[in-house]
Amino acid sequence: MNIVWLEQAICQELQRVGGKVANLSRLAADYRVPPGFCLTTAAYGTWAEVGGGDWPIQLLQELNTSYAEMTERCEAESLQVAVRSSAIDEDGQSASFAGQYETYLNVSGAEDVAEAVAHCWASVQSEQVLEYRRQNDLPVDNVQIAVLVQQMVPADIAGVAFSANPVNKNRDEVVINTSWGLGESVVSGTVSPDTYVVSKSDLQVLERDIAEKEKMTVAHPAEGTREVDVPRFMRGESTLDDAKVIEIAQLARVLEEQMGWPVDIECAYHGETLYLLQCRPITTLD
Amino acid sequence: MAVPHAGSPEPRVIPVTSEFSVSWDVPEDQHIPWEFDPMHFSNPLPRWKNELWCEMADLGMSRAFAGYQMPIRARGKIFNDYNYATMFPVVPPEEMESQGKKAEATLGLALTSMHERWEVEWLPEIRQYLAFWDTCDLMALSLEGMLVHYDATIEKVRRLWHLHFEIVVPVYAATGFFDDLYKDLLEDQGTFSAIQLLGGFDNKTLETDRALWDLSRKATDTEVRQIMTMKVSSEVVAALQDSAAGQVFFGELNAYLADYGQRGASWSPSEPSWLEDPSPMIKNLQDYIGQERGDPRERWAAQTEERETGLAKAREQLAGYPEQVRGQFEFLLQVAQVGVVLCEDHGFWIDFQSMHRMVMVEVGRRLAEAGVVAEAADAFHLGMAEVRDALATLPAERKADIERHRGLQPPMQLGTDYGPRPEDPLSRAFGKFSGTPPEPTEEEGNLNGHAGSPGKIQGTAKVVRSMAEAEKLQQGDILVTGTTSPPWTPLFATAGAIVTDTGGILSHCAVVAREYRILAVVGTGAATKLISDGQVLEVDGDNGIVRIVG
Repeated sequence: MNIVWLEQAICQELQRVGGKVANLSRLAADYRVPPGFCLTTAAYGTWAEVGGGDWPIQLLQELNTSYAEMTERCEAESLQVAVRSSAIDEDGQSASFAGQYETYLNVSGAEDVAEAVAHCWASVQSEQVLEYRRQNDLPVDNVQIAVLVQQMVPADIAGVAFSANPVNKNRDEVVINTSWGLGESVVSGTVSPDTYVVSKSDLQVLERDIAEKEKMTVAHPAEGTREVDVPRFMRGESTLDDAKVIEIAQLARVLEEQMGWPVDIECAYHGETLYLLQCRPITTLD
Repeated sequence: MAVPHAGSPEPRVIPVTSEFSVSWDVPEDQHIPWEFDPMHFSNPLPRWKNELWCEMADLGMSRAFAGYQMPIRARGKIFNDYNYATMFPVVPPEEMESQGKKAEATLGLALTSMHERWEVEWLPEIRQYLAFWDTCDLMALSLEGMLVHYDATIEKVRRLWHLHFEIVVPVYAATGFFDDLYKDLLEDQGTFSAIQLLGGFDNKTLETDRALWDLSRKATDTEVRQIMTMKVSSEVVAALQDSAAGQVFFGELNAYLADYGQRGASWSPSEPSWLEDPSPMIKNLQDYIGQERGDPRERWAAQTEERETGLAKAREQLAGYPEQVRGQFEFLLQVAQVGVVLCEDHGFWIDFQSMHRMVMVEVGRRLAEAGVVAEAADAFHLGMAEVRDALATLPAERKADIERHRGLQPPMQLGTDYGPRPEDPLSRAFGKFSGTPPEPTEEEGNLNGHAGSPGKIQGTAKVVRSMAEAEKLQQGDILVTGTTSPPWTPLFATAGAIVTDTGGILSHCAVVAREYRILAVVGTGAATKLISDGQVLEVDGDNGIVRIVG
């Protein structure tokens, strides 16, 4: 099985797809998760077996067929996708692996998608990743990786939410960080995002800390994404109104219930629609 | 806007020279900053106009600010016949920011309704007052009736200037905010592109000019052409009336004046309108008659195309941006496009209308007849209350004062300085119109100003301080002047470039220069003092530099 779709039950098998994709797959049916498919560890193995350079023809055809199918499903002319690595021991309970592997945003066209997938595969052996694994007492030999190809959400507002407060460890508080544009500026920490704290039990907004958001990541036709200045008028504007704050808090709350552990989610608004992009356990509560 | 604000440096008393001596009739006034406004009034003003303008600050600007919840008010004050203004906060420093936010929200709404209010509220009310003056037979009024009419005129002028500021606050906000947003989003496009997206819309200044061009095309008769090209402007009317063909063209000229002649040549109603003295307008007409090409419509078509191309490019660049950003861009674009039109149109309907001037001319005629003043124009040297009281001895003294003060160099600021202006969008918006002080000059023979309209050119300097001096301007000359107002617009067709003492990148002069595609450097501070007629100048409109090369 080289390629599996998020909504397939087989896509929940950790050893094939990694924690990130398995978690998303569990949620794909019940939540607004953008459609996507995963190149499994088997696909990585096939590629690595032939030397980790050129694509094996049959595997490439499988990828092209899946990309074409997803393009059709999304009724797009040239579908924009996000290509994200998903390590097999990533998003486990002990180490988050957040940001350790490559991610390619706003990729379109079969050729570029194949190139992005190959880059993700190659990143497994990067010195940065190996060092991270050594630091976290994880094996550095025979590392497995899966790659998720998912429809890109052209986010107007994006961010992360924690279903428990990672700072004061209060499990009755949902903490939300959001900023303008794609989520990368929030995740990478190049922007100080707006912070909202919501009481989990009664969904009251407890705190609103509106930051001066100087940068944002936007989709760019040639460069994939680009970090640009936020116009001065909008830097101090709240990204979320209360209805949106509560909608995100509610999502974090039900996800925690369903998964059985406090969650760390990535989400994005396109217009008025909220998308769930990632869901993993909070690793720093204890 | 120099407003004392939280975090201001130590107040510094601004020294005054013995030449420009200042006495503080209200002692508290010396503890606030007073600013000279050479863009509107670079010369000492007759008392009547000066007092009226002080009232405009108190009753016009302040009321408009209050209406938009802005935490500042304005006052005017006369020093040695020069008009100064101050803007001061009406809330404690710690509340300035929160009040400022409230004002921005109110202004945001005002931007949305600006176009509709102009159409259904502001312009109809303005026209109602103009009709009031238009339908009054001044000569037929009794002395008592004249007083009643004078009082009603003052009330209407006050209301007009309240409207004026109610209009210009959102107008400057719209264009200034858009320029800010454009810089933040698309700065690499260069200095002029934001303005490029606002160009190519019709307004009353352009309409006035277009009608003048059309009038120039009617001068087809050989005899008429001969009069129009050979005579100096002041002799044209008499010459036209002397010939049969001339009389036909004179009829056309009068029809033009009936539509557009109410305009004065400056912001000051103490100077005659075209109806009273058509020479400045005839000079413009003569220039047009001498030109074979130059139909303003051709330039506007090119500008419209440039605007649409630029807009398509900007929208393409923003395609991947959050919808809130794109929405903000489209909103401010739309209101700024309305704003640039209203920026000219409000001037046509309020600033340059001379209807209320005609009331004062008639008052003056009667005062002169009664021997209260020596000649009708002297009435402008009376104060507003004094006109009513018609005191006999004051006018001659006032007139002498003006002459005495004319040679003075009024300092840019008086009172107390509270450091640089606060950095906020509204201050920036006003700065783009009125200009900020130029950078000090680094090279000898160079004058620094603001880039007003792009390009580089050499030409002969002609210093034109008033429309009366416009006669000496030849095709391709560099027009060096204090500031330009809308009635000067046709000179832009003759000049090769414009250099001004005052004004910013959104000032009338800069906007119109770009419409005419001639170079401009604005806000040089002292071009009219440092440059003399006949000098060869190199004007660098991209960098805002003027070089005296010979």
